Amino acid sequence: MNARPFDFARGALLPIALVTLWQAWVMLAGPSRAPVPTRVALAAWDLVASNELPMALLQSVGRVFGGFAVAAALAVPLGLAMGTSARVERALDPLVESFRPIAAIAILPLAILWLGTGTAAAVAIVAYAAFFPIVINTVAGAQRVPATLLRAAATMGLGRAATLRTVVIPSALPSIGTGLRIGMGVAWTAIVAAELAVGAKAGGGGSGGVGQMMFVYYAYSIELNRIVVCMIAVGLVAFALDRLIRGALAFAMPWTAR
Amino acid sequence: MSAPKLSIDRVGKRFDAAGHASTVAVQDFTLDVHRGEFLAIVGPSGCGKTTVLNLLAGLELPSEGSVAIDGRQIAGPAPERGVMFQDYALFPWQTVEGNVAFGLRYGPAGAGMSDAARADRVRKCIDLVGLAGSEHKYPHQLSGGMRQRTALARLMAMEPQVLLMDEPLAALDAQTRIILQGELLRIWGQERPASERRTVVFITHAIDEAVFLADRVAVMTSHPGRLKALIDVTLPRPRDDATRATPAFQALVQTIWALIRDEAYRAIVT
Repeated sequence: MNARPFDFARGALLPIALVTLWQAWVMLAGPSRAPVPTRVALAAWDLVASNELPMALLQSVGRVFGGFAVAAALAVPLGLAMGTSARVERALDPLVESFRPIAAIAILPLAILWLGTGTAAAVAIVAYAAFFPIVINTVAGAQRVPATLLRAAATMGLGRAATLRTVVIPSALPSIGTGLRIGMGVAWTAIVAAELAVGAKAGGGGSGGVGQMMFVYYAYSIELNRIVVCMIAVGLVAFALDRLIRGALAFAMPWTAR
Repeated sequence: MSAPKLSIDRVGKRFDAAGHASTVAVQDFTLDVHRGEFLAIVGPSGCGKTTVLNLLAGLELPSEGSVAIDGRQIAGPAPERGVMFQDYALFPWQTVEGNVAFGLRYGPAGAGMSDAARADRVRKCIDLVGLAGSEHKYPHQLSGGMRQRTALARLMAMEPQVLLMDEPLAALDAQTRIILQGELLRIWGQERPASERRTVVFITHAIDEAVFLADRVAVMTSHPGRLKALIDVTLPRPRDDATRATPAFQALVQTIWALIRDEAYRAIVT
């Protein structure tokens, strides 16, 4: 526990150095329109004080959670089915693997046409993007359950359902957790892209979210500093969410603590 | 002589690998195990000892012949035949207590058992193997000897009629091994009359271990795995460290070594 403040200081060292370097570079040699840390900080203050940024982030976070929950609710059971049954895996793997390379952003046109330019389309994009890392890691986890543990359960008379619940799922949990973490990261990249694109389609109106906000600062009022604020905010929120998931996973898997 | 507890009747077991000639793991194997008997199976590595155990567990089914318990054909695993695996097969996400209680909590063996009765039995099994105080540790926090004890407690908690043990002491250092051999006999109940003991089939590659523990030693040879000899171990029970020093003990070890020596050397050279 004593190492915590030190670890934090060490973690902050690199970002601080980079920001300093950035400021120095712009002041000494940068183009006049380049965003500078000091101006970005002022813009951040404006955006937070006006409540604009928090509201946009909240909306984006809500969509990420929604899409992520849909993805997890579909991908974990499907991954377990594929990982425990060779027949299900043979049937579904080609489908999953041929959709996987289609980027979430590539299904955006369809999502907008079918679901409009609001939350539904954004949630669908996020769910699509987060689905694949979760399903693939769940399959891997379920397939890598040590055979000897399955045999041990069989000799104790456990049936298929009990074995799934008490052996396969706990054994696959670290891998499922990795899938959830990657899925959450992908969900964030997808939401920003989706909101940017939806924003373009909606002409800067309505749909909201941090991606939309970036679109407005890019297309209507050219405010580089504010765009950078949005970028940093997305990074920080994604980082916080990853820590949240890690914490939840550590809590759910006390045996992995060393 | 009463009917055997376990009978292996002219059993053969082949493993078919795609693209390869099938491997004959066990051939023409016949062996009866008596009720309450401690039977050890020794042989060089690769002789099919583990296959015989898996056939008794129902984890493998014979290609020829039949395997039966109390005259009933064995068609799959069941809690009446408990298995202790070579790598212990402890569930890493369960504590010692959770591992010992596992089969009673999630399997049919604990059906209809009250929580209090189950907790009581788990408690007794943990005490029996000397793990009191470590109930809430996870397997990765345990030493090899403690993991072995946890696996043994889990096996005992199921109260199986037959204990099937696959080299349960092989991964331990020599001192721990000797101590646990003695404890195994105590837990098995060598102090009790033979009629109250459980039937044990114990796989090992260590001849002295087989002689120290068993009532009879089945000696196997490999390629394919066959029963070469059945040796009666007439050493009196209870046995202890003094038993190891007796001429009778040494003579039995020598006899069995002579039976598998040639093959053991060949296994090293080839």
